[in-house]
Amino acid sequence: MLHPLDVDVPRGQILGLVGPGGVGKTLLLKMLCGLIRPDEGTVEIEEVDLNRLRGLKLAEMRKRFGVLFQNYALFDFMTVWENVAFPLIRADVCDEKTARARAVELLTHLGLQGSEALMPNQLSGGMKKRVSLARATIARPEILLCDDPTAGLDPVTSSKIFIMLKRVQQESGATTVVVTHDIDRLVQICDHYVMLYEGRVIFTGDHEQAMASEHPAVQKFFRG
Amino acid sequence: MKRLLEQIGETTLWALETLGGINLLFWRTVAAFFPPDFDKRETWRNLYKVGVKSYPIVVMTALFTGALMVIQSAHFVQSTGATIVIPLGTGFTVLAEIGPVLIGLMFSGRVGANNTAELGTMAVTEQIDALRALAIDPIRYLVVPRFISMCVMLLLLTALGDFFAILGAMVTNGALIDFSPELFFNEMIILHFLDEYLMGLCKAATFGIAISVVSCYFGMTVRGGAVGVGRAVNNSVVATAIAIFVLDLLTNLLWVQAGWLTTG
Repeated sequence: MLHPLDVDVPRGQILGLVGPGGVGKTLLLKMLCGLIRPDEGTVEIEEVDLNRLRGLKLAEMRKRFGVLFQNYALFDFMTVWENVAFPLIRADVCDEKTARARAVELLTHLGLQGSEALMPNQLSGGMKKRVSLARATIARPEILLCDDPTAGLDPVTSSKIFIMLKRVQQESGATTVVVTHDIDRLVQICDHYVMLYEGRVIFTGDHEQAMASEHPAVQKFFRG
Repeated sequence: MKRLLEQIGETTLWALETLGGINLLFWRTVAAFFPPDFDKRETWRNLYKVGVKSYPIVVMTALFTGALMVIQSAHFVQSTGATIVIPLGTGFTVLAEIGPVLIGLMFSGRVGANNTAELGTMAVTEQIDALRALAIDPIRYLVVPRFISMCVMLLLLTALGDFFAILGAMVTNGALIDFSPELFFNEMIILHFLDEYLMGLCKAATFGIAISVVSCYFGMTVRGGAVGVGRAVNNSVVATAIAIFVLDLLTNLLWVQAGWLTTG
């Protein structure tokens, strides 16, 4: 459950949505892209209330988002390249041949060359995350939402994922929200932080302000 | 006593919520046909998975059912000399009842349960959320192709099953009773058929609608991981079986009331 809160996401930057497990980070992230409607309040994208949109207008708005899910959410009846090319093919952005070429190019960029024809169940956790990142970004979304991109991964793979995330964000300029509790690695890529605690926002600011915060929960989370 | 009343209340609310949800999903699926906007590739994939992969079990079930009906009645028929009863009984029961109901139950166990498990797994692994996040309507992408493929394929499988059940009965009849296959076939043609055959196919179509909508509903509304998927599959199989028997009863009543059954 979330208490009343107010969060601004700066355009073109990476916002870290942090906090201990079970405080509502994923819930808030899903509200940001309209997958869950809040009981009260608004989610505004350039002054358009997402919760008032229906049908085609909502679909058009959602095309501006790329979402990387915590559990990968790869379609298990499609190959890797089909998963990645899916947003392009469904949105009729290009023909299937071009979509496949773009998917293979992006997969190569993310170090997944040679895995195009594999099924998701043949991939490791780190590979699935990268495929999921490729699918979330192939249509060059204006807003990228990443739910715990390093959940269940080893430290080396986690660092690689964050570096790739930063690279992809820099190339696309997408406004990015990253939900994580992996604060040590997030510091390397993040511009601003919002910390949730017991369903409330208890901190908003940059890393220096977080380190200087006197709130015990913020201190504990950022300073360890 | 209080606990009992609470349980009755909870179960009633759950049943009403489920019925409402299934009803809503049915009308939203129907609405997706106006204009027809659904994924063709997903529809072909499901037609293959639902139909082509189901026909061996349907053919086998039908053959054995037809044969068993003759084996069960052969002794009585031989002792009374009423051999004419065999084609009459076989034709009526296979085409009007056993064919569509048995194949419908087989279909719900194989295809409906599989469908609930597949959609349920997609729900708990956020694949359905991923579709929505990609601006894709899960009803048009997932439910409508399954709805089409189950309705079409159950109709075709029932027609196929009818044929093989009668074939099984005809062959067994020739082996056990001195009743030639030609005579058996002619008797069935003379005695009845078109009415029962059409009623059976009508039942198959309604069963296809029920199995697809019910199995999709339970799959799409799964909560609670693997345990939730198992529970949903169980609920789906029970609900589709009940739906098949209720629809069977209603179709029979409709046919009788309308005077469309002219056999005998």
